[in-house]
Amino acid sequence: MIVLRRLPPTLTAEQFMETVSPLPEHDYFRFYKADNSLGQFAFSRAYINIPNRKDLLIFTEKFEGYVFIDGKGNEYYCSVEYAPSQRKPKTVKERKDPK
Amino acid sequence: PENREIEKKIRPPLHEYLRRILFRDLNKITIEKVLRQMRKFDWFEPTFREYAIKCLTAPYYVKYNSIHCLASILAGLAHFYDDIAIDVLDNVLDDIRSCLESNVPRYNQRRLCMVKYLGEMYNYRVVDSIIIFRTLYLLITFGVTLDNAIMSEVDPPDHLFRIRLVCTLLETCGQYFDRGTSKKKLDCFLLYFQRYFYFKKEHPQWNTNTYPFPIAVEHVFDETLITLRPKFILAGSYTKACEEVEAMEKEYVTILAQNEIKTPTTIDTKDNLPP
Repeated sequence: MIVLRRLPPTLTAEQFMETVSPLPEHDYFRFYKADNSLGQFAFSRAYINIPNRKDLLIFTEKFEGYVFIDGKGNEYYCSVEYAPSQRKPKTVKERKDPK
Repeated sequence: PENREIEKKIRPPLHEYLRRILFRDLNKITIEKVLRQMRKFDWFEPTFREYAIKCLTAPYYVKYNSIHCLASILAGLAHFYDDIAIDVLDNVLDDIRSCLESNVPRYNQRRLCMVKYLGEMYNYRVVDSIIIFRTLYLLITFGVTLDNAIMSEVDPPDHLFRIRLVCTLLETCGQYFDRGTSKKKLDCFLLYFQRYFYFKKEHPQWNTNTYPFPIAVEHVFDETLITLRPKFILAGSYTKACEEVEAMEKEYVTILAQNEIKTPTTIDTKDNLPP
């Protein structure tokens, strides 16, 4: 699983998808909005799991250093990394909480 | 000057309630009750979920000594919604990393809380030891040069905060790395950590008379090692610490080489270092 970091803080998941499309076949995607309490160091992130190695390499190469531009014209250099935690939610239906 | 009125953030009642139970009511005695309340929320409602994840990623709003309670709540929720814990963990790990990159003193308190929270997550089995070790190594390697000629921008010579971060993480969950592979992993890490510590301590900028290496940092380091490994003998100097690391690496390379003869696989000799 990889993570794309340093994305514009105002970016939304939809805009992100538009920019990176066509996204190769993937079984996991999660987008996190920036945590604004970090001020100027707040960035959005996206986690993607691309099982096909070849697709993964092509995708990584394409987006490492890729420049995202936010609504105000600021430039953000995206970095693609191996995600520190490789866990993703189990695909089985979530346990129902009886509450 | 006129009294500036501080604008109070107006939050929806549900968010206010969530903040109240997590950041004010939560303590050792109320854990059960708070968890019951937390489970009653509608976790499939996206706006609430997003806000709750944000709150669960903010251990710095909880009293420092109650951070373990927040980890306990998270573990309780993870039992029913495992994606919550995954989200929070991703956020915490990225926060630790982002703060290493920006290295702004303003966030120091927050950073301490974050690593403590991560350690408590290990104690409550929300994360496994791999993540803990990966974070430990990240803390002593990210942007570190181990060369006085090349100054590290994100870890300048007078920046000793990472020693505190490592010690806090080890203080929180290090005592459980006392058997099996995690014990060995910790033994290896401590040698690298020791090398990092002496590298920092022996930087030429320190001067015993005019600008000594802070004794408090030395104490934190000593205490952490004594608590975890009472028999650990400190190297005493950077050169010696480097020798110890080299000897250990050599030993592992030999073991790996032997294993390779027995079962030919493509093991990278650097595999004893977590990525």
